[in-house]
Amino acid sequence: MRKALLAILYFLATAVALAFLTLPLLAIFVHVPPSELIEQLSNPVVTDALIVSFKTTVIAQALVLLFGTPTAYLLATRRFPGRSLCITLVELPLVLPPAVAGIGLLAAFGRAGLLGSSLRSAGIALPFTQSAVVIAVVFVASPLYVRNAIAAFEAIDSNLVAASRTLGADSARTFFRVVLPLARGGLVAGAALAFARGLGEFGATIMFAGSLQKVTQTLPLAIYAEFEVDFDVTLAISALLVLISAVLLIALKLTSLWQPSEQISPSRFDRLSWS
Amino acid sequence: MEFGGRHGIGRRRTVTLAVFGGVLFTLLAAGGAGARTDTRTSTHVTGITVYAAASLTDVFPKIDSGPRYSFGASSTLAAQITQGAPADVFASANTTIPAQLFAKGLVRKPVVFTRNRLVLVVPTSNPAGIRTVYDLRKKGVKLVVAAPAVPVGSYTLQVLKQMGLISVLANVVSRESDVRSVLSKVALAEADAGFVYSTDAKTVPGKVRVLKIPAWAQPKVTYGMAVVSSSSNKADAQRFIKEVLSKAGQKKLFAAGFVPIPKAKSGH
Repeated sequence: MRKALLAILYFLATAVALAFLTLPLLAIFVHVPPSELIEQLSNPVVTDALIVSFKTTVIAQALVLLFGTPTAYLLATRRFPGRSLCITLVELPLVLPPAVAGIGLLAAFGRAGLLGSSLRSAGIALPFTQSAVVIAVVFVASPLYVRNAIAAFEAIDSNLVAASRTLGADSARTFFRVVLPLARGGLVAGAALAFARGLGEFGATIMFAGSLQKVTQTLPLAIYAEFEVDFDVTLAISALLVLISAVLLIALKLTSLWQPSEQISPSRFDRLSWS
Repeated sequence: MEFGGRHGIGRRRTVTLAVFGGVLFTLLAAGGAGARTDTRTSTHVTGITVYAAASLTDVFPKIDSGPRYSFGASSTLAAQITQGAPADVFASANTTIPAQLFAKGLVRKPVVFTRNRLVLVVPTSNPAGIRTVYDLRKKGVKLVVAAPAVPVGSYTLQVLKQMGLISVLANVVSRESDVRSVLSKVALAEADAGFVYSTDAKTVPGKVRVLKIPAWAQPKVTYGMAVVSSSSNKADAQRFIKEVLSKAGQKKLFAAGFVPIPKAKSGH
């Protein structure tokens, strides 16, 4: 009797959770017929926002991968005094409210900020530019990648790396031919999370970069601006973002780059360690 | 001294009860006194939610600290009300938005309750050396305005059109979502100039310099407010509106820098 009751409760909880997560997404598409969606694709507000979002997120993603990967590898494999502090600092933007991130960026790189005068003498003015959007996105998205990358690198069996070195490969070759492929799952998952986070960034962007069509108005900023003007456009942009995110996730799953987490799928018990 | 029972707890309980009772009595007495002398203390309409334009952030709670307030761009608030947000009163920085909502049956007939003036603000450091509105034509000036759907944004466009300075829009670096965001960007010296209401500039003394807009170019900035149709507390909502229109309310608005409405327009 109790077993059946428990089973019903589990089922109910799952049903509620799934319904809650999918309902808002379905509701958007119920409100936006496909014809409307296609029509909105020719709306300059939508296309400009799409271009700004893509340009800034792709550039930011490249920066995150370029700087984040060596940072993660260092933090994962080397032990040095202050290592935990460094890891905490790298993770900090994750728990920071985006608006606070925006204020922080202004306080650092704004005209009256810490680096303001140095940037000005170098002829660089950051606030209100597309570069500001990139910086904001990098700031909020990089912890997601670095954290996952650290975990991925830490999970690599050091014996495999040692074996590679003893077999004659130098550090660089080992890194690219042994370490990266082994860490591939975690790195891609981290990159996907960072990309999605960056695409949806709002608070830091609107504070640091402002909002101007064609320059700094990303898709989320366009949603906010259109909300009080034309709710149909708002729905269309939202539907577009849902589609982009869904395509991203499905593509990753199909190319089996989105490797299942060890905790939620059968783990591979056949990783023998010689220690 | 042994009051209740053999244990110390009995005495503690009695003392606690006495203190509690004393505090309760004092509160009730004070509350009662407050209700009886409401010509002196600020009137309180509780249990209603007021959606009001961002420029009213500081003055409305001074008129009545009772309601729950939600301040923001009038256009955003109107959109929220259209989507069913639980507001009892809607106060907008123009009369067009309340009129639109009234036409859709979302609010009762709006009344005008105050006026305002548009000004140009620059940071006190004045990095772009702006001395008049015409200086906005200089190349590279970082001008921040509100989005056109926001009342202050549309008033800005009116002013620029009147002064023949629409070309200045090429210097706009950001279209903010409400007037206080425009003010912040200028107060932080991130923007070189921005258009806000004179009442907003007064809230950040020392951070911005106010440049007046010539009287002939000044748009008619009229604030309208209305009871929301879906309100479940229309009587209190109406009381709040009456408070704002009362002598005391109008005095507080005037003290904050708002422009008094001509007597004939108070609508009551």
